[in-house]
Amino acid sequence: MSVARWPSGASDWATIVLGVIVTLLGLPMVIGGIELISLGGSWYYAICGALVVASGVFILLGRSLGAALYLLAWFGTLVWSLWEVGFDGWGLLPRLFGPTILAILVLLTIPVLRRQDRARAMSGRTPATARGAV
Amino acid sequence: MRPSLLIATALAAGLISTAHAQVASKSSSVPGTGAQEGGNQSPGEANRFAGPSPSAPQAPGVNAANLPDDPQMDMSQATPMVPQQSANPAPGDWSAYGHDDDATRYSPLDQITPANVGQLQRAFIYHTGSKPAPGQQNKWAAETTPIKVGDGLYTCSAMNDMMKLDPATGKELWRFNAGVKYHSIPYTAACKSVVYYTSSTVPEGQPCHNRILEATLDERLIEVDADTGKACEAFGFHGQINLMQGMGESVPGFVSETAPPPIVNGVIVTNQEVLDGQRRWAPSGVIRGYDAETGKFDWAWDVNRPDDHNQPGPGEHYSRGTPNSWAAMTGDNALGLVYVPTGNSAADYYSAMRTDKENAVSSAIVAIDVKTGSPRWVFQTVHKDVWDYDMGSQPTKIDFPGPNGSTPALVVPTKRGQTFVLDRATGKPLLPVEERPAPTPGVVPGDVRSPTQPWSTGMPRLGFPPLKESDMWGMSPIDQLFCRIKYRKANYVGEFTPPSIDKPWIEYPGYNGGSDWGSMAYDAKTGILIANWNNTPMYDQLVTRKHADKLGLMPIDDPNFNPSGGGAEGNGAMADTPYGIVVTPFWDQYTGMMCNRPPYGAITAIDMHTRKVLWQTPLGTARANGPWGLPTYLPLNIGTPNNGGPMITAGGLVFVAAATDNMIRAIDMKTGKTVWSDVLPGGGQATPMTYEYKGRQYVAIMAGGHHFMMTPVSDDLVVYALPEGTH
Repeated sequence: MSVARWPSGASDWATIVLGVIVTLLGLPMVIGGIELISLGGSWYYAICGALVVASGVFILLGRSLGAALYLLAWFGTLVWSLWEVGFDGWGLLPRLFGPTILAILVLLTIPVLRRQDRARAMSGRTPATARGAV
Repeated sequence: MRPSLLIATALAAGLISTAHAQVASKSSSVPGTGAQEGGNQSPGEANRFAGPSPSAPQAPGVNAANLPDDPQMDMSQATPMVPQQSANPAPGDWSAYGHDDDATRYSPLDQITPANVGQLQRAFIYHTGSKPAPGQQNKWAAETTPIKVGDGLYTCSAMNDMMKLDPATGKELWRFNAGVKYHSIPYTAACKSVVYYTSSTVPEGQPCHNRILEATLDERLIEVDADTGKACEAFGFHGQINLMQGMGESVPGFVSETAPPPIVNGVIVTNQEVLDGQRRWAPSGVIRGYDAETGKFDWAWDVNRPDDHNQPGPGEHYSRGTPNSWAAMTGDNALGLVYVPTGNSAADYYSAMRTDKENAVSSAIVAIDVKTGSPRWVFQTVHKDVWDYDMGSQPTKIDFPGPNGSTPALVVPTKRGQTFVLDRATGKPLLPVEERPAPTPGVVPGDVRSPTQPWSTGMPRLGFPPLKESDMWGMSPIDQLFCRIKYRKANYVGEFTPPSIDKPWIEYPGYNGGSDWGSMAYDAKTGILIANWNNTPMYDQLVTRKHADKLGLMPIDDPNFNPSGGGAEGNGAMADTPYGIVVTPFWDQYTGMMCNRPPYGAITAIDMHTRKVLWQTPLGTARANGPWGLPTYLPLNIGTPNNGGPMITAGGLVFVAAATDNMIRAIDMKTGKTVWSDVLPGGGQATPMTYEYKGRQYVAIMAGGHHFMMTPVSDDLVVYALPEGTH
C-alpha cells in the first residue's frame, strides 16, 4: 500500500499529527453521536463525526481527499449551526470556534497532501523508485 | 484544542453511562451503616424514629455557651418599642441589613455619580480575622453587609465576632469575641449582618441604651452595648440566649443562624437554617419571638403544633422536620407583622411524609402576628415543593404604584425567577398570578405532585424558557455533544419535572437559580426595582436507601457522617425516607463548565409603574472563570452565577459585586452600562452598602468569597470613597 511512506520534514510530521488529532476528535463524535441518536437527539454529531474520522484517516493516508472531507464537514457544520442558532454569538461559539481553527490547520496541509498525491500518482507507475524519490 | 480536553471528552463519551455515579464516588469508602437498611421501606410510622430519638439529649456543644433555660415572658413587662433608627434612617446611615425596615437597599446619598464614580479609590480595608485556618475544610462565605449608624460602622465576622469600626478609617473601636467553634459551622460560616436596637427602658447615656444584636451560627442571640461592645446584662443570661432550647436532639452545625433577626414592635423574631438533606426528622423550623429588652421568650410558631405558642416542656421538643426559614425576614411595625420566607420541610426532595399543615406553609411567605405568633396570611410560591425552591430572598416593602394611589405591598423574589407582588395587609397578589398545570402525579410511588403551580404573569420573569437540546453548550462540539447526551438521558418536561429514581432529572431554574439571598433593591422615587439573578440548572436523582448507603450518604447526626460526603447543597442522605438525593450542577463534570448556554447570571431593572424591563444585562465576566476552573482573563461579559444583592444610590448608580469574577461594579441606573469596576481581594459574595461620614460618601463591600462558588476567601472589608477634596 502506498501509505507505507516515510514522513520527511516538519510539514509531513505536522500533517500526520493533524491527521491523528482529526481522527481522535471525530471518534467521540461518532460514538457519542450514535448514542445521542438512540436517545432521540440530533443526527448532526454522528454524521459530522463520520466525515471527520474519514477525513482524518485520509489525511493520515496522505490523500488530499482528507482535507476536502474536513472542509465539507466544516461547511456542513456552518450551515447546520446557522440553522440551529442563527447568528447568536454564544450559540455559534462551541459549534464553530474549534472546528474553524481546525479547518485553518487542515487548509495548511493541502500543499503537503497534494505533494503526496502527486508522489503517489508517480509511484502508482513505479512504486519502488517513487518511494525513494519522496 | 488542549490535549487534556481531548482525553477528557474521549473518556467522557465512553464512560458517560457511569458519569453520574462518578460524581459522588469520592465518599463511597464510608461503610453504609447507621441509617436504615434496604431501600424499600414504606414511609410508615414504624420508620419514623429509626435515627436518634428526637428526645435524645443534645450532643455536647449544641448549647454552645451552656446557657440556662430562658424564662417565658410576662406580658406586663413589655414596654412599647421606641422609634428605631432603621424605621427612618438618617440620610448618611445604613441602619439595617437592607438599609432600612423596608429592606429597600436604597440610599439617598448622591455624592458619587456616574460622572465621578471612575475616581473611586480604596479608603481602607478592614480585616475581620475570620477565614479558614490551615488544614480546615473551607466552609467560609461571610456574606456580610455592615450597618452604619451615627459614628459607628458595625459589622460581624463570618464566625460572629462583632465590632464597631471608625467609619472614616476602619479602625476597630471595640470587638466582641463570640467564641463560635469550627464544628458549629453548618453548611457555611456566614454572618449576614448585625441589628441596631435602641432600648425602650434604658435611658440615653447609660450602657445598653443603644445595642447591637446578632444571631449566631451556634444558635445564640447576643446583645452588646453599641458604644463599648460589652454584653448587655439585662438581656438573657449575661447578654445571651440559647436558641437550641426546645429543639430536641441535635448536634453542632445542624441548626444555625446566618441572617439578622428583625425586631418588630419590640419583639426579636428568629428563624433558623436547618441543614438540608440530612433527615426527615431534622430539628424544627420553628419561628420564635423574644423580648428585645430582656430576651425573655415571647411566643413560638410551630407548624405542627399551631395552637401551642409556648416553649416545649421538659422532655418535649418543637415539631421535627417542619419547613425551616433561613432567609432574612422583613418586619412591619405598622401592621404588627413579620414576613417569614419559608423553606421546605426537611428531606427536600421527598414529600410523602409531610403533614397537610406543612404543605400549606412551605416555600411561602407567612405573615405572622408578632403579638400572638399566629399567621395572619400565607402566600405560597411552590406547592408541595420537592425542588428545594426555598425562599432565599428578604422580601422588600414598597408602596405599589397603582391607578388609584399606592398600596402597601411586599415584593417577593423567588428562586424560580417568578417575582410576586402582594398586598401586605391580606397577602393577596396585586398583580395577576395564574395557577398553571404542572406534571402530576409524578414518578415516586405514593408521592403525588401538585396538579398546578403559581406563576406571576404580571411581572417580568427573571429567567429563560425551558431548556432545549440546542441550548446545550461547551467549548467544542464534543463537550456540547456530551451535554446533549446528558440532557437526553434525563427526565425533563419543564420547570416542574417531578423527581425520579430510574434516571436523573433536570431541575431548572434550579435551587441556585432566580433570586437568592442577595434579594432586590428598590428606588421608591423612580419606582425602579433592581434584581440580579442566576440561570443555573441542576441535575438531580433520587437514589434508593441501599444506593445512598453505598455512596456514604449519612445524616450529620449519624456517627458515620462524613463531612465532605453530603452537604446542604450537594448529595444528601434524607434519612428516615426511602431515598437519598444526588445533586450536581447540570455541567460537564470533566471541564467544570455548565451544560446550558450563557448567561449564567444577569441583572435586570424593572419599572414598577409599567412592569416593563428597562434594561437587562449579563452580570460578571469570564476573567476569573473558565474550563477546569482556570481563569481565562477574558473581559467577556458572559454573565456568571452570582450571590449577593444590589444596592441603589440616589447618585444614579447601582453597586453590585456578587458575580464569580471577584469584581465590584457600578452600573448607571439609566442605561444599565457598567461605569466603574474594581477587582476585589476575594469573592464579592455579599451585598454592598454605602454611608456618609463627615461629609464623605463611602461604599463598602465584604470580599469574603464563597466556598461553594469557588471564589477566593478573604477577610477583607473593602471600603471605597472619592479622593479627598473632590467632593
